[in-house]
Amino acid sequence: MEIRSGDEIAFRQVYNAVFPVVMKVAYHVTYNQDVAEDICQDAFIRFYDKDMSFPSLDDAKFWLIRVVKNLAINHVKKKMRESASLEKVMRGPQVNPFKDGASELILKESTAAVRKAVSELPEIYKTVIVLREYAGLNYKEIAGVLKISESNVKVRVHRARKELEAKLDREEVNVP
Amino acid sequence: MCLDDQILNTYLDNELTEPWKSQVEEHLSYCPSCRTRYQNLLKIRSAVQAAALTDEEIQPRQDRVLSMIEKNYLSKNKGKKSFLKRTFKLSAPQLIGVAAAFVVVFVGSWAVFGNNGSSDGTILLPDVNTTIDLNNITQTRSSDNNTTSKSLENYTTEEILKNLDARGYDVDIRLKSIQPLSLDRIGSEVKVIAVVEDKGITITSDGLARDAEGTIVATGVILDDQNRIVASDGTVIFTADETKVVE
Repeated sequence: MEIRSGDEIAFRQVYNAVFPVVMKVAYHVTYNQDVAEDICQDAFIRFYDKDMSFPSLDDAKFWLIRVVKNLAINHVKKKMRESASLEKVMRGPQVNPFKDGASELILKESTAAVRKAVSELPEIYKTVIVLREYAGLNYKEIAGVLKISESNVKVRVHRARKELEAKLDREEVNVP
Repeated sequence: MCLDDQILNTYLDNELTEPWKSQVEEHLSYCPSCRTRYQNLLKIRSAVQAAALTDEEIQPRQDRVLSMIEKNYLSKNKGKKSFLKRTFKLSAPQLIGVAAAFVVVFVGSWAVFGNNGSSDGTILLPDVNTTIDLNNITQTRSSDNNTTSKSLENYTTEEILKNLDARGYDVDIRLKSIQPLSLDRIGSEVKVIAVVEDKGITITSDGLARDAEGTIVATGVILDDQNRIVASDGTVIFTADETKVVE
């Protein structure tokens, strides 16, 4: 079924199906819900404005995931540059953003630890793990979104999990 | 030979194809150490997945972004369409009425302009301030237009105004000096050619004299070859002593 992104009915259909997915992608790359919301809004406005045509709902989803992923990574890079230069000026006590509740939801210790561990992964591992675990894409789809080979995806997933395991062991998290 | 982590991860993600998938399953069935390792990897994966942003956290943001897009994009488009539709729904007599109103205003302004465009550089311009909507448009037959435009010259400005006023137009006519284009609008073409420092007056190459506040105090002035500021009728406004020429 062809999807025209500038068509209101098609837009709503894609929005309802894809927003939760891209919100997760944006959040688990930036770990800031407000930033993630802005990024998703930006992506959906571009999606609607460009009035593109996609062969299927999935293709529209992959386009949105790619845009959101790029925006989120850019945000993280910018943030890192800023904090690197800021750190030289003042070294204050670091607050753990994964423990103070951006929402009223009180995070479980293990949730906070996992989010922290994912956020600390190198970018190439973080993106595959986010697309795999939070966007629910398979290796072929991840390869398509990241424009890398499937065997490359396989290797990165493996290395990402290895790093996560090491980090979580260090944090002494009781994984359920 | 035991299974390495990468194979187990691939199997875990259900990305392993036959015949390797069956081979892994067979191996796991009898190798306790690989089974333990596999259980561990499963735990890590479920811990990671359990840390996902929850639906409760997503929903309010999903609603908020949608309503923002609805307001600024989806409904905006809809508004455009209905506006066009409304325009085309005007019936022929209504359109003629609107056209006639413009003809009256245009011809009227031409007549006033033509009669009064005066030599001292001032122009009388009618300033028609009326909202044209269906309530204040009088329907006029096209044959009326001809007689109106022909006879318009025979009326005085006052009569035209009275007539327009009687028809419900809110007409405002003001005497204005020609408004020169401002310096920045003309750009490099207009230059300051002289200043009268005592009075704070600036003369520009477009023949305008402005006071310190930028208000135009005289038009059509020139700087003559004796460095005097001369008005259009030849009277000397400022002598060479008072004038400082800007190169």
